[in-house]
Amino acid sequence: MEGLPRNSRSRKRQADRPGPKARGDGGPKMWRAARWLLAGLAFAAGFLAGGHLVRLDRIVTARFEGRRFQVPSRVLSAPTILYPGLDWQRVGLRERLKRLGYREEEPARSFESMQLSPGQQAWTERAVRVHLRGFAHPSRPEPPRDILLRLDGSRIEEIHEVGSGRALGAVLLEPELVGSYYGPHREQRDLVRLPEVPRHLVDAVLAVEDQRFASHHGIDLRRVAGAALANLRAGAIRQGGSTLTQQLAKNFFLTPERTLERKLEEAAMALIIEARYGKDDILESYLNEIYLGQRGSTAVHGVGEAAALYFGKPARHLTSAESALIAAIIQSPNGTSPFRDPERAVERRNLVLDLMHEQGRLDAATYRQARDEPLRLSPRSEEARLARYFLDVLRHQLPRAYDVTTLTSVGLRIYSTLDLRMQRIAVEALTRGLEGLESHYPPLRRDDSARQLQGCLVALRPQTGEILALVGGRSYGASQFDRCTQARRPAGSAFKPFVYAAALEASGGGPTITLASQLDDGPLRLDLPTGPWRPENFDRKFHGIVSVREAVERSLNVATARLAQDVGIEKVAGMARRLGIESPLPPVPSLALGVAEVSPLELARAYATLANGGVRPEIRAFEDLVDSQGNTVARRDIEFRRTLDGGTAYLVTSLLEGVVERGTGFAVRRAGLEGPIAGKTGTSDDERDAWFVGFTPELVVVVWVGFDDPQSLGLTAGRAAVPIWTDFVQQVTGGRIRGAFLPPGDVVALEIEPVSGALARPGCPSQRAEYFLVGTEPTRTCPSDWAEPEPTWRRGRETESLRDALLRWLDEVL
Amino acid sequence: MRALPLLALLALLACARLPAALAPAPEPLHLADLAGEGDAERRTSMRLVLQGLDADSEGRPDLARGGYENALRVDPSNPYAYLALARYHAEGASPERALSFLDRTSALLEAQGARSPRVEPHLEGLRGAALLAGGRAAEARPHLERARALAPSAWNDGRLSARELR
Repeated sequence: MEGLPRNSRSRKRQADRPGPKARGDGGPKMWRAARWLLAGLAFAAGFLAGGHLVRLDRIVTARFEGRRFQVPSRVLSAPTILYPGLDWQRVGLRERLKRLGYREEEPARSFESMQLSPGQQAWTERAVRVHLRGFAHPSRPEPPRDILLRLDGSRIEEIHEVGSGRALGAVLLEPELVGSYYGPHREQRDLVRLPEVPRHLVDAVLAVEDQRFASHHGIDLRRVAGAALANLRAGAIRQGGSTLTQQLAKNFFLTPERTLERKLEEAAMALIIEARYGKDDILESYLNEIYLGQRGSTAVHGVGEAAALYFGKPARHLTSAESALIAAIIQSPNGTSPFRDPERAVERRNLVLDLMHEQGRLDAATYRQARDEPLRLSPRSEEARLARYFLDVLRHQLPRAYDVTTLTSVGLRIYSTLDLRMQRIAVEALTRGLEGLESHYPPLRRDDSARQLQGCLVALRPQTGEILALVGGRSYGASQFDRCTQARRPAGSAFKPFVYAAALEASGGGPTITLASQLDDGPLRLDLPTGPWRPENFDRKFHGIVSVREAVERSLNVATARLAQDVGIEKVAGMARRLGIESPLPPVPSLALGVAEVSPLELARAYATLANGGVRPEIRAFEDLVDSQGNTVARRDIEFRRTLDGGTAYLVTSLLEGVVERGTGFAVRRAGLEGPIAGKTGTSDDERDAWFVGFTPELVVVVWVGFDDPQSLGLTAGRAAVPIWTDFVQQVTGGRIRGAFLPPGDVVALEIEPVSGALARPGCPSQRAEYFLVGTEPTRTCPSDWAEPEPTWRRGRETESLRDALLRWLDEVL
Repeated sequence: MRALPLLALLALLACARLPAALAPAPEPLHLADLAGEGDAERRTSMRLVLQGLDADSEGRPDLARGGYENALRVDPSNPYAYLALARYHAEGASPERALSFLDRTSALLEAQGARSPRVEPHLEGLRGAALLAGGRAAEARPHLERARALAPSAWNDGRLSARELR
């Protein structure tokens, strides 16, 4: 019996036992069957275990060979350019640097020679030192450099590079984060390569998390035993025995629950990872995966993003003390957040430094210096989330290949056109404006937030079509419906400039009118298939014969409707199309008065064409898409096309300047905003929509106010929309509007007698300057022909009198 | 004596209408000459254009384009930034775009009263170069010939280098 296997012994015992059916010929057969069964079970168990291991191996390799990390694509703002002469207060330089995470240092006595590291700044009354971090961009990279800005009041006087003393004409600040396209987990990470990670950061992590990382094969049995002993003593689970590889396996593949099955899977996966991949590969993955805190509602993963969150710098620039702090918070990033409890964070950091020193990972001098280093955290920043409507607009402008799945995972950098300062002002101006309206006009208040008063503001740079700011509603959280791009509302009188552009254009046999023409604002009746149409003015009066300027400045409906009939509705619609309106335009007489429903963005584009001298820009929300390797994978170039002659565009602009100077847009001037501004109010039927579309030579801004479910505001655009527009432009420009609306070469300014529209000569009862396309100037003169009003100009150039020709010749020659 | 002012006027008119051949050909425009003109925005914008031209001369066209576009951010009405972009596109793969940038340049120069004889050869020559690049050789020829006649030093080879424009 000796030497028999246990099972044989037991079989023997069973065979010796008396029993009714256990004896006889059946016994050995049963044993054989049992043996086969056991063997089968063992084989099946082995097969299943093997199969499971193969499955785990597949899972591991799929993740490691494929895209290891889901990296959200980041949208960055347009750069801020600093230059001598710039009003640094207006552009909010100090706040901007703070938002970018630049740490403000106390100015040293020797201010110009004080040492600053990238990401640091220092201010005195007359100068600023900034050590720019620099940034990589395929077409406008900026090197890290230490600069000195001398200030003269609110202006930058000069910029020098510290060290070389070289004067700099312009310096680009790195762009700000506008937002990110997150996946369902809202994880943000800035991937780092292992060679970019400072050695002391790796040492700090290993000292705390896995001392024997270099020597184990995925599981550290000594550590497991130590942890088990400690937990036994404590009577509870206090310590973990997981290696970095196990933590990585858990974070990559498993749920955080603590069950035996999950621990076994974690261990198996750790062994597989170690068997298949090198230590550097594993370490790099760990450093990019580990959760290290929160930025608002976004989870911060990886040491790259953590370095930016806590210290406002790339991981490669971390000091030993900063690395130790990051390692110190791995176990409980929120519980030990340095933002929450800086003293405790420093204590834990010092414990890590002690460990590093004890393990020989830090020499004595560095250790002492690091322990003495004060905690200098970056200003706590949250993703602005000011531009969520813009992010939607941008997403729709991206090439089709960049769908939501791609955007949320491949870590693109999208360089947008958004000016984040302008965006901030736009959000504030719209919010303030709508709240002000509700408080001054209580009937506008709604208790139900889904039905409350809404608005939209969009700002473009007319020359390049860049969207500089876009706010599609009061709250993206409450409603993602973007009123700037998705809403189509009747344009009201904001459509009228297209009528006047069509009438003033000199194509096809000459213009219908000049700016010296008179229009008839008497009663008008048009018999349409749907019945008679009798347009009325806002004041329900008729004003008889009026000048073109008066008709535009007072936004007279009847005169405009009659003019549109003279021009032809098709031509008016065609003009609107050429300028940039894409929505359907019904060919009905009321089109002239803005019955067509358009989006604020297309209206902005059409007015941008006027501001841009008849050149229509393509709307741009981004410039470059750059992949994680730094290659530009898509671009949106500046595109424009001339769709209206510069002369006509200028004449319409001049009319719209009058609207702001004397007409329905006068609230702009009343608020004290000076400078070249043109614009047009628009109020739809029943005052359901209030518009103001205004522009300066460098900025087009559309404001719309109304309810999503159209209801009367009981207010004109001058009261509802113009104040918001004015508030925005006042803050953006600081009241200094640059540039001028300049007449092109084919426009001449002449003195005319305003009633007759004839050329004014000495002796005329009154006169004013007026603009004309060359070749459409009045030929009659005042006083000799004063009694005879200038007829509507609808022919080609009339024959000049000899005297007029001589005068014109002298004008040209002299 | 009474005829003196009239004679002076006639002399003035005559001078104004002197055949171009008798007047010395003006030096074609170099953008560096304009670096100190205008307000702070225009001066900065010009510096960025010049930086772009330098990058272009060093064979870094992407950086050049970035410089020109930054120049437009600071001063969107700077005609010389459009001129530099027209040159960039005429040399590159977008001759049609070059033509629209040239039109924009002309319109802005005119509106700003800055269209001088010194810039004419570049406007003519770049139009010719863009047309040629777009396969419209017959249309291109007269423009290039005019540019060559107006500024042989810059346009003799039928193209304008970034250095020559600088």
